[in-house]
Amino acid sequence: MGLTEQTNLQKLVELRNVTKAYGQMAARPHVVLEHINLSITQHEFVSIVGPSGCGKSTLLRIMMGLSKPEDGEVYYHDRKLDGVCEAMSMVFQTFALFPWLNVVENVELGLEGKPFGKEEKRRRSLEVIKVIGLEGYEEAYPRELSGGMKQRVGLARAMVSEPEILLMDEPFSALDPLTSTHLREEVLHLWADPTLPPEAVVMVTHNVEEAVYMSDRIVVLTSRPGTIAKEVMVNIPRPRDPRSAELYRLVDEITGMIV
Amino acid sequence: MFCGGTRQVTIPRVQVGNMIGLLEVLQDFKGKVDLAKVADELRLELDDILPAVDAAKLLHMLQVDSGDLILTDEGRMLLSKSAAARKRMLNKMLASSGEFKAIIDFIRMEHGGEVTKEELVGFLKDNMPDVDPEQTFSWIVEWGRYALLLRYDSDNGKIKTVHKTSTGKE
Repeated sequence: MGLTEQTNLQKLVELRNVTKAYGQMAARPHVVLEHINLSITQHEFVSIVGPSGCGKSTLLRIMMGLSKPEDGEVYYHDRKLDGVCEAMSMVFQTFALFPWLNVVENVELGLEGKPFGKEEKRRRSLEVIKVIGLEGYEEAYPRELSGGMKQRVGLARAMVSEPEILLMDEPFSALDPLTSTHLREEVLHLWADPTLPPEAVVMVTHNVEEAVYMSDRIVVLTSRPGTIAKEVMVNIPRPRDPRSAELYRLVDEITGMIV
Repeated sequence: MFCGGTRQVTIPRVQVGNMIGLLEVLQDFKGKVDLAKVADELRLELDDILPAVDAAKLLHMLQVDSGDLILTDEGRMLLSKSAAARKRMLNKMLASSGEFKAIIDFIRMEHGGEVTKEELVGFLKDNMPDVDPEQTFSWIVEWGRYALLLRYDSDNGKIKTVHKTSTGKE
């Protein structure tokens, strides 16, 4: 797909010249991200890769409005974002579940602040629980669940609000290799279903193979300060063979940029 | 109840997602691959993969032939299905024979569809003296929940069978 073909797709969120730093700006503080220009378009699965400490997760937090940049702006549908963007939700590496709440209750938290009654929140939560393959676990507590199931709860909580953009911060890296293989397939399966939200996914990962296997576009960051080294389009048709030579070539190319 | 030494072990001892993950890896290798190669690629010890291999073998999802793992038709079928349909397939397999069926029958027939955790653990102690009953209980809950055979509420310690009302949809 050429860039020109994409222009009629809607730009959902855009980072313009974003710089994030800790400490006093004038004193040349610790700069985490510098001059980041990045936009996310409809129907795109974008991965952000880079060495550890390059500000990948910070970039995701800025995109959602959870963290304010020292310089630059975030635009959501061409309007400057001020505060947390309600149309995005986040999946965390460590699941971030409440241990004293069961599965349905944890999922319902994703609807906190939405204008639905109690029953409607329950109905929507049970619906998404079914879609994500968590049916049967409704009354389980996080301590009774495997890592893979915990992350499904994290995913269900993020999906229940039907976000326009789903943000995932290292969603598979706390899981064992077999479980993460399984969950990656499930996420791709959900992504392939046009009847389901979101319109775009942005995933942070340190796993280049995972990024190439799953994404349409990969943003490679440099470290300290994080700047965009390159953007790589992954024009391999889906479903992809994770063991194809084509895929390995891209993995090598991108790994070479990071190391 | 479990007919002596030749009894068929039908309680998988691994997380469901772990076993399905192994089948997916197998499919990536076109349905046949050396076990040691899988371990090597995933940077796992053999011991970390064997529980998933055993579970998949038990459920006839894969065969082992001189060190090679081979995906069976059942395995392929499971992978081709949606999340809900996978649950239905495993529901049928687990409920139809062996230990899992015996456990379901115990709960359903002798206790009207609901027992306490203690009662089920007691049943396991009596009938399966060679396994750790607490750990086996956890696996029963894991697969029972996934396959929509059992529900367990740890708040009141009650485990019950699922009545087949909602499985027909979709």
